[in-house]
Amino acid sequence: MSTLEIKDLHVSIEGKNILKGVNLTMKTGEIHAIMGPNGTGKSTLSEAIMGHPAYKVTKGEVLLNGENILDLPVDERARAGLFLAMQYPAEIPGVTNAEFIRGAINARRPEDDAISIKNFLKQLDETMSVLDMTEEMADRYLNEGFSGGEKKRNEILQLMMIKPKFAILDEIDSGLDIDALKVVSRGVNKMRGPEFGSLIITHYQRLLNYIVPDVVHVMMGGRIVEQGGPELAKRLEDEGYAGIRDELGLDIKLVDEDA
Amino acid sequence: MTVEFESYPEIKSYAESVAEPKWFTEMRIKALEAQPALELPNFEKIRYQRWPIQVKKALKKFSSDSDLLEELDIEEAKYLVVQLGQDTVREKGLTELEEQGVIICDWQTALEQHSDLVQKYFMQKAVKYDEDLLTAQHVANLTSGLFVYVPKNTVVKEPLTTYFVQDATTKADYVHHVIIVTEKNSEFSYLENLTTVGSEKTTANIIVEVIAGTDSHVKFASVDRLGTNTTTYLNRRGHLEDNAKIDWSMGMMNDGNIVGDFDSDLVGNGSHSEVKVVAISTGKQVQGIDTRVTNIGRHTIGHILQHGVILSRSTLTFNGIGHIIKGAKGSDAQQESRVLMLSTKAKGDANPILLIDDNDVTAGHAASVGRVNQEQLYYLMSRGLPKKVAERLVIRGFLGPVLAAIPSKKIEEQLKVTIERKLVDGQTDE
Repeated sequence: MSTLEIKDLHVSIEGKNILKGVNLTMKTGEIHAIMGPNGTGKSTLSEAIMGHPAYKVTKGEVLLNGENILDLPVDERARAGLFLAMQYPAEIPGVTNAEFIRGAINARRPEDDAISIKNFLKQLDETMSVLDMTEEMADRYLNEGFSGGEKKRNEILQLMMIKPKFAILDEIDSGLDIDALKVVSRGVNKMRGPEFGSLIITHYQRLLNYIVPDVVHVMMGGRIVEQGGPELAKRLEDEGYAGIRDELGLDIKLVDEDA
Repeated sequence: MTVEFESYPEIKSYAESVAEPKWFTEMRIKALEAQPALELPNFEKIRYQRWPIQVKKALKKFSSDSDLLEELDIEEAKYLVVQLGQDTVREKGLTELEEQGVIICDWQTALEQHSDLVQKYFMQKAVKYDEDLLTAQHVANLTSGLFVYVPKNTVVKEPLTTYFVQDATTKADYVHHVIIVTEKNSEFSYLENLTTVGSEKTTANIIVEVIAGTDSHVKFASVDRLGTNTTTYLNRRGHLEDNAKIDWSMGMMNDGNIVGDFDSDLVGNGSHSEVKVVAISTGKQVQGIDTRVTNIGRHTIGHILQHGVILSRSTLTFNGIGHIIKGAKGSDAQQESRVLMLSTKAKGDANPILLIDDNDVTAGHAASVGRVNQEQLYYLMSRGLPKKVAERLVIRGFLGPVLAAIPSKKIEEQLKVTIERKLVDGQTDE
């Protein structure tokens, strides 16, 4: 079992404070969801954990199995067991999807023990069929010219092939129709098990009908303001974020709220 | 003009040793006599004048040790020519082409058996012998090369693959000439590999002339891997007649200093040249690449795409020159030159130069010198790839447009390996 602990995390971007003390602990075997209105710092949290250079941690720690990872470069965090399914994955022309995924797997193995091509292709085929992806997607250049839905599936494909300890899914549901949402959820659910934990970031409760979380966190104004079980997500769907805010007596302006 | 052979004992003795035709020897002497009045060519922002780029060694016939070939990785091909220094060491599949009337032979054989054809095209249409000091030195000192003639209505689908191996195990200069003539309505595909064995300090002066006749189509690809101690002048020029097309794809993977002068003269109406260049500079080398397309005929199209990477303390300059001559109505000149810097000590330059003398045309340019895209790097690293590996992947994508145009999977793979090697070498030096 592994643990991921976020302690009093403060993060700024371009001098603006976005996260103002986030605390969250999770273990493998658990699925956590973070819900919150737009502009509340959900993506900032995921990018800061992964180590995007534009996000500056001004205070706090992120511990993976008790070790602070914030001094590690991005690739070492990844090899230590973190994965971020991105909202806007980069396009890399000239590098095929299959070649890239194989490289990512081999980056985690000793140099003299690379995965055999046969073995790799077998796993890739099986995983792609779970995600209803056509074979040609393996030979296309990484994300280049992929539709929004294809990119999201491709993130989950990488997740399933790489098998991290903890995966953060940053709005993996945005821009997906209901069929694609089911497919993506099927992939994530297949990963569920004692060696895998996931932190799912979303605005909408809908995704959580398909990937049922163990814990739901509500984030507002750069902090986690409420925690609960899956029923909390349903309540949010009914009452909206303003309802929770007012109930908690928080002085936070919601970005999309009318003045 | 009467030419005094006797005054040039060196040329005379060389000419006799290879029994070259008189006209050719006369041309050598004319080129030699023209030299005092000629200067080195000028290329914007490429300062090579003080390099040992001038051919100085005596004109001399010599043979190379064929064991040297064992150092090289030569890919088999259906049609193959391998030359080591001044010698042709292998030819394959050419008889089959001969039956279609296609002539492919080395320089000595061309002068011996096709003297009239060579005389018609050699430094007549594309490059002129007295254009500048380097072209004149070329003619005066030329000792090896290849002649290709594709008759009209002839289609050669499989590429002719050539390996020209400069022998730098001795201090001999390398002066090499290629002519490719495609007659009306013919098609020809060509893949040239320039490489070096040995590490003596030498000078290479190489000119390639492609004369594309009416409605003909030439696919020209090259992988240039000349050695660290070879200083090179490499001139490749296309002369295009009505509706002719040349697709150039050149991979500049040299390790030494080089000036690449890549030109296309769109003389005929409707002619079209696509020039793609990729280059990687490493160590302390300087690569200056001056690519020009001149639209002369009406409705001509000239496109230039140059992508390069610089590492360590190296320099890479891309000039892109699109010149539309008055009267070239309905023509199009587009260019893009981009340089990626992987080291703060490297120097890169991308200079777009558009010279437009007619109104009824379209033209555009893009140029940049920058760093590896941080979002791409972040994405790749977030999957566990170390930074240097991620950088190399991003670069491979950046160089992709030319790689994709190489007409042989094997050579494309080889080029990828070469790119990987150059990048790894360069990265350790950062």
